[in-house]
Parts: sequence; structure tokens; C-alpha cells
Amino acid sequence: MKPTRTGVRTVSEPDCGESHASDGTTGEATGESGGTPVEAEDVDGALAALDGAGLAGYNYAYLDEHTKREVRRAVLKAIAIPGHQVPFASRPMPLARGWGTGGIQTTLSLLGPEDTLKVIDQGSDESVNAANIRRLAERTADVETTTDTTAADVIQTRHRIPEEVLDRDQVLVLQVPVTDPLRKVDPSDAANRRRHAHANYGKMWVHLYENVVEYGEIQVASRYPVTVAGRYLMDPSPIPRWDVPKLNDADNLFLFAAGREARIYAVPPHTDVEPLAFDDRPFQVERFDAPCEACGATDTYRTAVETDEGDRLVVCNDTSFCLKRREDAGLAKDHHLDRDGVDWGPGTPDADDTDQEPATNGGDRT
Amino acid sequence: MGYVAVTAGEELIERAADLFDAQRADDEPPVTLDQFDGQLARLTAQAMSEGGLYAPRLAALAVKQAQGDSVEAAFLLRAYRSTLERWDETEPVDPDELFATRRVSPAYKDVPGGQILGPTKDYTQRLLDFGLVDEGTVTDPTADWDIATDRDDGESGPEEPGHDEKDQRGRLTNVMQVLRDEGLVAPAGDPPTEEPVDTTREPVTHPPEREAVLQELARGETGAITALGYSALRGYGQVHPTLAEVRVGQLPVQVEHPYTSDQVRVTDTGVTETEAIVPVYEKRDDPQFAFGYGLTFGRNERKAIGMSVLDASIALKGSDEPAEDPEFVLDTVDAMDAFGFIEHLKLPHYVTFESILDRIRTLRDDDAEPPRAEAAEPPDATGSNESSIDTGSGGGPGETDSDGGEDGE
Repeated sequence: MKPTRTGVRTVSEPDCGESHASDGTTGEATGESGGTPVEAEDVDGALAALDGAGLAGYNYAYLDEHTKREVRRAVLKAIAIPGHQVPFASRPMPLARGWGTGGIQTTLSLLGPEDTLKVIDQGSDESVNAANIRRLAERTADVETTTDTTAADVIQTRHRIPEEVLDRDQVLVLQVPVTDPLRKVDPSDAANRRRHAHANYGKMWVHLYENVVEYGEIQVASRYPVTVAGRYLMDPSPIPRWDVPKLNDADNLFLFAAGREARIYAVPPHTDVEPLAFDDRPFQVERFDAPCEACGATDTYRTAVETDEGDRLVVCNDTSFCLKRREDAGLAKDHHLDRDGVDWGPGTPDADDTDQEPATNGGDRT
Repeated sequence: MGYVAVTAGEELIERAADLFDAQRADDEPPVTLDQFDGQLARLTAQAMSEGGLYAPRLAALAVKQAQGDSVEAAFLLRAYRSTLERWDETEPVDPDELFATRRVSPAYKDVPGGQILGPTKDYTQRLLDFGLVDEGTVTDPTADWDIATDRDDGESGPEEPGHDEKDQRGRLTNVMQVLRDEGLVAPAGDPPTEEPVDTTREPVTHPPEREAVLQELARGETGAITALGYSALRGYGQVHPTLAEVRVGQLPVQVEHPYTSDQVRVTDTGVTETEAIVPVYEKRDDPQFAFGYGLTFGRNERKAIGMSVLDASIALKGSDEPAEDPEFVLDTVDAMDAFGFIEHLKLPHYVTFESILDRIRTLRDDDAEPPRAEAAEPPDATGSNESSIDTGSGGGPGETDSDGGEDGE
């Protein structure tokens, strides 16, 4: 792993050397990026002190300060051991488990009132669950929200990494349903923890090899297993293979959080992330038959829409970038950065992408 | 034809929620919380038990808000509880202090303290009572019974009963203790000297401590506990217990007085408790029965009994059968985890599905002819193909299925 120049300005932990406060009261504030000190002898006094930002009767950013601190500790540990799954005491949230509770706990623990939040689900800001999560953060953490990827400090996402390149000051929080790639080959977490401890990933390699023997290809669609910093096997969450190369040597911090499974893990900036593949069966991203119907893009992840008329339209999955491209078709994925040519996932070819994309080597840019 | 991004997510959510609430809006008067608490107490008990929060009034509210969905109600309780500060911890309470309204011991024909059937319809025919269809008021068939009860003291709110009163409540001799005194049942083991694990504050790791097992089972979903417990009885396991007793009653909640440091009773919780004797012997030279324990909030005998079967099964450390594997049991019994992940499948999945479609098209193309036809519409892109690429079972490109369905995502 290269030295991390973390842009994690929202992760602040001024008191992490102190022992866990056991007096049961919401005591200290937690630094400049949030936290509402509550100093009162009783519940009514504590609640009265909370008026102002956020939801009446609830602590700032919903979670109590101890919980947020614990989540931030887990995040720091995860950053220190890239790809390693760090247990944390996932709290019950007012969202169903499996619906982004790990992501929202992490997001709420990072947010401060001056931050801007973007929430996407399946690439869309307006997906019903994304709207619900965004509203919870808005109501309880009093943050600005945006649909513009380049304007967000924290982005919570399910199953996608945005098309526009993230920079060093941004944190991407990915919601994770299944934390361990080894779950495919053994359902036991206890056994898999031993495998991770010994970096014993033979069973996964055998599984992929059997794929090749049986189908001629590695048949993993999303949740493609990757090796992080040459050490831990990691499940990148169910992002499409298209997004997997974006994890490698990125400027931004990626946090992966699973509420139901009570685990947090991370890919720090400028960390090597390599998808598992064989020399003669390279990693491939998804292929698309047609450019985006709306903006004409050929360098984005696209999904199909089946219409009432029986047509199939292929459109960009990242709706906010697609809207920008409709205004300015040539907009590069790194248009907002000072430097050009920042690689972010499958590159943007000059000519028509569909003519050049080889069937067997679509996304292998290394 | 242009594709228009949906921009009305927030409004759609609100309207869907309005439609949900509209389902309650008929011409009938709204159900009161007292009615849930009193007439549908089994439902609120289930919500409290699975929510892990003893709060009958809040449980009634949760059940009302969830329109009778007990798991959703438990979910509301848990989400609410997680926002509350934890002020103190109660003193450990001896289950012998239970004020029993029902107590049966299947192990013996009679036991010290007697068999107390209490309020139950276990021993009646399950016939629909059409007399309830249009009853005017609920009549109390026990109104003219001449019974003295000191149960009132449990409902008069927080107070500080002295130890005298505790004695008055009348301890029931623990049947398990009778057997333990004789050396027939393995000792329960010393209470943990360290602070017990709290699974609401620390994630469960495997192998789990017994207190973690009991906590997770006590909060487990009633149906899941019943089903997994039944699986052991059905033959997928070795545990077929004899119940020492099943008790229903009020258990005092005691805290240390902040000034006098005395233990004081602040309230009671309704619980169901059971202890199971399991004829499995660990040692040949000194055979002793194994045992299992079950305790739930509220009246829920099937969950308490199922819990005791699972506790005993897990304690065997066999893991040959699902009910004996703590990882399997604890990973699946929690209603919040299970219902959340099961129902998350309703969420949009078109990103991952597109990725899956790409895989099957690639496999089918490879099978047909090596150079892929440019921009050709794949011959078959219906959803039925998902399972074939997903599990590797059937529908594959003419290959045998030996993958074992490992690729389940």
C-alpha cells in the first residue's frame, strides 16, 4: 500500500485515547465536525438542550455520540487495515436492516452541519430508498444535500460508484449486503475469519477455476472479489464489474458498511485493488450494445429499460451525470479536476466505444 | 423517445405512506392502546420479546402503527430504543422470585407449590366462538370468584417493597433445583465474573459465549425459534427434552438505590420461562442430564420452549444439524435481520441484474460462435435466465451442473 494521503477531513477523533466513558450520559462533543454536547441531569433537560438543528427529541445526526464515536473508531481501524472487516456494534436504525443501515450509520457518524451529502441507489438520486435515506440525514443532521457528484463531501451509495471521478476530499460510503467474498464458498464466518487471518484464499481460486472449467469464463457478475493492498480478499459490495477498476489507486476514500452484518471495511486512497483473474482469463467489465439513448454516452455503465411499447432502451445508469452530458455531450469524467486524463474505471475512447470494445478484454486497462 | 429521470422520489414515498395510513381510515373508531394492551396482549408481548424492549404501552403503539404486523412493531421498538440513553443496569434477578400466574411441570405429576394451570385455553377444543362476533361488552366470567390475590402490588407502579413482601409472594420451588440437588442435572455453571457480553452493544463472534446465545435467542423471531426448535425434535438433532417446568408470571425489576445502595424493586416485567431436561449424557462415568433454558418477555410459551431446545442443542457442541450450530441459529433467528434482508429484494436491483445479464449473454455468445455479432440483440434476455447464471443450475450452455450453485448473488 502506498502512503495514504487521506482526505478524510470529516473523520475526526480527538478523544480516541480516552477510555470508553461509562457514566451513561451523552458527555463530550466530538470535535469540529459535528456532535452536540448534552449536559443535563435528566432526560427532559437533555432533550430541551437539543432544540435547534435536527429532529426534535433526537440527538444530532440521530445516533448518540458514543455510537458515532464507536463507528468512527471502526472506520479508522478499517482505514489502517485496508480490506479487513472490522466488527462494530451496529445499532438498530429506523430503516430495515439490509436497506442501508450500515451505510447510514457510517454516513451520520461522519457528517457535520457544514457537509454536503449525496445519496444514490442503483445510480439514481431519486430512487425511493435513496430519497428515504437522504431525508433521514436531512432531518437529523441538518446537512445540505445535492445530486451533483462533484459537489458532495460524503456520498452514500448502493451498488454503484459514480461515473464522475471522486477527489481527495470526498468519501464514498458503500452499502454492503454481504461482507465476505468467501461466503460464496463457505457460509461460516468463523471459518472464513480463519482464512482471512492466514490469507488462505485457495478455495476462492478453486471456485473461479471451476467456473472457467465449466463455463469457459469467470461467471461472477457483480460483487467481484478483489485483493486489497496485496493482502485481504474483499467483497467490493454488489457494484458491477464496470466499477471495480475505480477502486484501484483512487484519490478518494471508500468506506464499506454493513449494518445487518455489523462490519465496516475500507479502501483508503491510493491503495492497490486488484480483481481476481487468471492470466489467460482476464477480468472483464460489462459490454453494452448501444450508446445511452439520452446522452449518447458510450463510456458509462448503462442499464436497459423495457418500455410499454416493447422496446428496449439503453440508458446511462448514473442519472446525475447523464443529465449533465445531455447539456454538454463531451463532458469528461474528470471535467471538474485541475488535471486531465485521470483514469476512472473503463476509459473514454475517442472513437465509438462499441466498435472498439473487445469482447474478451473490455475493461482490462492494466 | 427520451428517457426522463424520475424526480419525484420524495413525493412518491409520501403518497405511498398516505395510502398505507388510509387503510386504517374506515368509519370505525380507532383501536385504543388499552385495547391492544389488554385484549391483544399476546401480540404486544411478541413485539416486546422480538424487539428486546419491555414497554407494554409503546408496544401497543407500535402494533397499532404497524397495523398488526408484529415484526414491524418489534422493528419500531428497536429503532426507538436505540435512540435512548442507557442510564443504569438492573440487578440480576433470581427467576425464583417470579410471581407465577401459571406454572406447570411436565416432569412430575405434582411438584412443591403445585401445578398452576392459570389462564390458558390449552386444554379446550379449538372451535371458533361465534359468540364473539357481536358481543356487546366483554364479561368477566371470573367476576364472582372468591380469590385473594396480591397481584395488585405488581401494577401499582414503582414502589419500594421491603423484603417481607417478597417473601409473601411465595417462592415456588424450582423443579430443576430438586434434580440438581440430587446430582442428576449438570450444574448451570458459575455466573460470569466479568461483565456479561451484551449483543446489543457488541457484535456476536463465533464461537459465542452462552450469554450471547441466550440473548440472541430471547430476542429471536417467534416463528424462527419455533421452527428451528421443532427441527431438533423432528429428528434434525438429538434434543428431545422433558420440561422441568413452564412458568408465566411477573418478574421483579430491581435496581440499586442511588443513596442507600439497597436493592429496590422498581417495576415488574411479564415473562415466560422454561427449563428443559435433556437426556443426553456427556460423561459415561458420572452421567448427568444436560439442560436448556428459555425466557421471553410476555406470554409466549412456544418461543420459550423452542428457545430451551435450541439452547440445549447448541450446548451439545455437535454442529451436525442446523439447530446445533450456533452460527447457523444465531445468524438466522433475528427477525430484524431476516425480514430486512428478505424484503430488501423488493428494492431496485437493475444494476446488478444488468451485470448478470451481461454474463449470461457472454456465455451464450461464446457457446454459439466465437466472434460476437455486433450490436445484435441477444436472443433471450428474459428474467428466467437469472437463476441459471446465478446458481449454475440448469440452462447453462449445455454443460453439466456440478458447480453446486455457489455463485449465489
